[in-house]
Amino acid sequence: MDYTWDFKVVADNFPILLRGVWLTVELWAVALVLGLMLGLLISLGPVSGKRWLRIPAIGYVEVFRNTPVLVQLIWFYYAFPIVLGQQLSPITAAIMGLTLNTSAYCAEIFRAGIESIAKGQWEAAKAIGMTRSMALRRVILPQVGKRMLPAFTNRAIELAKVTSLASVLAVHEVMYQGRLLSSTYYRPLEILTVVALVYFVLIYPGSWLSARLERKLALRD
Amino acid sequence: MHYEWDFSAVWSHIDLLLIGLLGTVKIALISIVLGVVVGAVLASMRLSPNRWIRGPATAFVEFYRNTPPIVHFFWFFYALPIVIGLNLDPYAAAVLALSTQSGAFYAEVFRGGITSIERGQWEGAQALGMTRHAAMRRVIVPQALRRMVAPFIERSFELTKTTALASTLAYAELLYQAQQVNSITYRPMEVYTTIALMYFLLLFSASMAARLAERRLSRVG
Repeated sequence: MDYTWDFKVVADNFPILLRGVWLTVELWAVALVLGLMLGLLISLGPVSGKRWLRIPAIGYVEVFRNTPVLVQLIWFYYAFPIVLGQQLSPITAAIMGLTLNTSAYCAEIFRAGIESIAKGQWEAAKAIGMTRSMALRRVILPQVGKRMLPAFTNRAIELAKVTSLASVLAVHEVMYQGRLLSSTYYRPLEILTVVALVYFVLIYPGSWLSARLERKLALRD
Repeated sequence: MHYEWDFSAVWSHIDLLLIGLLGTVKIALISIVLGVVVGAVLASMRLSPNRWIRGPATAFVEFYRNTPPIVHFFWFFYALPIVIGLNLDPYAAAVLALSTQSGAFYAEVFRGGITSIERGQWEGAQALGMTRHAAMRRVIVPQALRRMVAPFIERSFELTKTTALASTLAYAELLYQAQQVNSITYRPMEVYTTIALMYFLLLFSASMAARLAERRLSRVG
């Protein structure tokens, strides 16, 4: 252990890491928003009560949940363009993979939330002349919103960690920058430790808030 | 979209993929076993009344829960050897990364199970003249175990999916082998779709088995 730490490398290249952090945050935000919207749409399949909508939606969710995210990202970058007949940029492939993966998990959260509402609510909405989509929008979703919040914050935290896999497709987010710097300067110990700390600083406030929220909601029930 | 599927290229290298599948199963099982040991130690540290024992375990768990697994893989492979002055092969680095990470999550599963047991159980055991240790072993843990089953299985699935990251260290698990087959055949669509299916079948059949086991266990209770 006569290793001399040298954090000068990190300090000198901090702007590069910071640029990576920005891209990480962007990836996270875009995939989260798109994933939530797509997830809601997909969750309507299982709740619709229509077989031809339910089965593909369940299949979609199961496929994305039962395969590794890294495989999904690699599939979208290397395999999908062949069917598409057009090369995708790393960032497009990464956003696609992250969004679809997140949407599958969000669909499950929406589905569980919607199904947790008693059937009588649907019937009551119907009795006062609401259509199914109106009942969903005006009666069901407002009630489940709060109940689903802890699950969504957990998903957002998972997604923040998963964005790091985009580095495998050479998307210049913070993990990629860290790998690049550590092989350029041959200071992996300092650089990778700093990258880990950067992630911790980014993600920990979210986990802390989520834990607080969960406790608060649990107390109220 | 006039793509001619050709699985013969994949089929002629199926032996390579099966070796990869075996590598995935092997690394997952070893990391589950080691992760349980790490998790049990961390959980008992976190349950200790002594702040100096509890603190480090809490820090360890929080650190792992709030940083991406790929950072752990790279850290163990490139940075740890500098600290210990000893090179690690991809297999050792991957097992270390997986088992410490899953250990942190298992610790939360174990701790959650134990703290979910009502206080009255402790008091009852104490009233019977049991020491804290005896109460833990004879009264609390047997009841808590049943509650741990579902989250434990869930975590083990996450871990199995995370094994795909070992490919970034060139450990011959399924994804890495697929990348090799792809570079021989140049059939990314077929190769990556095949391994996605293999992962799916592995995880899906395991989840069926887990559901059966869970049902049987809950019936006993």
